[in-house]
Amino acid sequence: MRWIPSLAAAALAVLAPALADAQTKIDFFFPVPVDGKLAKEMTRLVKVYNESQKDVAVTAVYTGSYDETKLKAQAAANAGKPPAVVLMSANFVLDLKLSGDLVSLEPMLKADGTTREKFLSDFWPALHANATVDSELYAVPFQNSTPLLYYNKDHFKEAGLDPEKPPRTWAKLVADAKKLTKGSGDSIERYGFALPEGYDYMGWIMEALCMSNGGRYFNDEYGGEVYYDTPSMLGAAQLVEDLVFKHKVMQQGVVEGGAVSTNFLAGKVSMMLLSTGSLSFIRENMKANYGVAFVPKNVRNAVPIGGGSLVMFKGLNDEQKTAGWKFIKWLSSAETLAGWSRFTGYFAPRKSSYDLPEMKDFIARNPDAKVALDQLPYAKPWFATYQTVAVRKALEDEIQAVLNGKKKAAQAVKDAQRNADALMKPYVDQTALKLP
Amino acid sequence: MRMKRMRHALPYLLLTPSLLLLAGFTYLPIVRVVWDSLHDRPLGQKKSLFVGLRNYAGLFSDQAFLKAVTNNLIYAVGTVPLSMALALLFALALQRSSRVNAMLRALLLFPSMVPLVAAASLFFFIFLPGVGLFDYYLGKIGLRGANWLGDPDIALWSLIGITVWKNAGYYMLFYLAGLQTLPGDVLEAATIDGANAWQRLRHVIVPLLAPTTAFVLVIALINVLTQVDHVIVLTRGGPSNATKLVLYYIFEQAHENFAAGKAAAASVLSVAFLLAMSVVSLKTMERGTHAAS
Repeated sequence: MRWIPSLAAAALAVLAPALADAQTKIDFFFPVPVDGKLAKEMTRLVKVYNESQKDVAVTAVYTGSYDETKLKAQAAANAGKPPAVVLMSANFVLDLKLSGDLVSLEPMLKADGTTREKFLSDFWPALHANATVDSELYAVPFQNSTPLLYYNKDHFKEAGLDPEKPPRTWAKLVADAKKLTKGSGDSIERYGFALPEGYDYMGWIMEALCMSNGGRYFNDEYGGEVYYDTPSMLGAAQLVEDLVFKHKVMQQGVVEGGAVSTNFLAGKVSMMLLSTGSLSFIRENMKANYGVAFVPKNVRNAVPIGGGSLVMFKGLNDEQKTAGWKFIKWLSSAETLAGWSRFTGYFAPRKSSYDLPEMKDFIARNPDAKVALDQLPYAKPWFATYQTVAVRKALEDEIQAVLNGKKKAAQAVKDAQRNADALMKPYVDQTALKLP
Repeated sequence: MRMKRMRHALPYLLLTPSLLLLAGFTYLPIVRVVWDSLHDRPLGQKKSLFVGLRNYAGLFSDQAFLKAVTNNLIYAVGTVPLSMALALLFALALQRSSRVNAMLRALLLFPSMVPLVAAASLFFFIFLPGVGLFDYYLGKIGLRGANWLGDPDIALWSLIGITVWKNAGYYMLFYLAGLQTLPGDVLEAATIDGANAWQRLRHVIVPLLAPTTAFVLVIALINVLTQVDHVIVLTRGGPSNATKLVLYYIFEQAHENFAAGKAAAASVLSVAFLLAMSVVSLKTMERGTHAAS
């Protein structure tokens, strides 16, 4: 009877294609905002999922950066072939919902016999706002980050500062940065402090400074309001101006994120604010001793989150929707998220991921990852408004003018507010100001 | 009779494949963009409404668009004459074939073989304030560098520098080819008549090269409006909109601001401008050819 197994195998080989036809095939678009190894890991994850069950066959499609992913997903949807699941920048969710591109996830929650509150309760509170629009769930957080203070311990020692005591307040930050800055006037060899000031990063960093100053930056429940012309934002903008022109501890003019980390690695800058997403990059490339700490505060500890969430596009049939939701649930399980977090350096959006033994072990071995985790309870939502990018640029253009000495902080926040209000007017007119 | 009809049909039959491709990938998209520029999608709706010329009016009341047009003009004035003049200079210097000249030609051509994206990524490190290659060598000769891409007064000129570096060698190729076609007897006659080198260049070579110049001008103008890779890689239009070119503005409107109508209107304007410039230049070129023959 030794032929029975081979007969069974033959039968399986004949039947397998038929079984495969019963599968629902879906596309998953994912970007890699940091570096190449992530794409491989994601492809591996999807393979693991496909082999773990028979109902859904996921095709993973690498779609470039967050911006390109948005373009490609919209193009595919317009062409009548919407991707079932997309890993999207978390602050594009509101815009995409407003333009009618996204599927509400509420029906899926209902079918599962759960509610939004119950579903979100395991996710860090700061992530809830960017996942919901008008009290409906539209996105499931997948990979997240916050800004962090990185500092060069060797420079601290050299300047007579305690390398185990990074600045916790703005006052201490300025005082330390002055001691760390080397040279003066036209021949500065080393700056005490640096911020990433290109588009996109600048807005996020200004949100961190504004929030550390007690502010909110934007209305996280209504897409038509930003708080640029406020004391909290003015204080943040004034700090940036003073760091360059009064204290002279920061380079004049705009410095892009890539240039900031290069300068930090080269020892040309002693402290910088950068994403937790850069942790593994700095860990691998930094020759000097470095440490990380909370973003220094003026009024309170607070930082915005950043990162990506899983969304579904309109135009899917019911089968694809069910399949997509199944895949989302698997991707956003505590175990998958914990593994992805360890691999990438993003923090895991689920609190329960950190109860897993392998995660506890990882945190114990990587004290800098622990600092990022400890800062999480102080995290707040990421700005998302009607026309998020344009409204963000309205502020960035003005702060960039401040950095170049073309404008004073007080004027800059006023102009930013006026420009942002003009951009959001069409939305405001159709919502908050549309009266009976 | 049948043969005759066949003979009439044959040219069209032979044209069909390229005509189909042109229609599918050039004419239809143009029609579509013009249609899009006359429509707009209200907030949250999938259907577009006819809005007439409102998108165009919106463009001219948009400070960012006007700034982009101004930037593009500065960019054109900064890149086109300089890179063409350099190209002619290189071509004149290297027109005789020798081993050294061949090597120098290859060296000058090299920048144009690097894709613009790659070149821009290289210049990101060259332009790094303080630690970049450029500042390093400036420091060697006792000069102090600037924040090349982070200062709105300088950033556009940094991009102009990259563009000239990149394109001059490419345009040189056309001038080299143009110089090969110059009738030797005319130059000889000029020399015998006692014209010096400058007079030969000014009164014989440059006029005879007019068709080449017109052609290079068209290419250069097209590049001014269609090359945007370095903006995307290096500045994304910043700081404070200082390097926002028209094509980048179009990209922003279409993909960041969900304003497809406005993006289409700006596209129509820039394509119309390019067409007009090409027609004018190519007309000049035709006249040049007649004058030369």
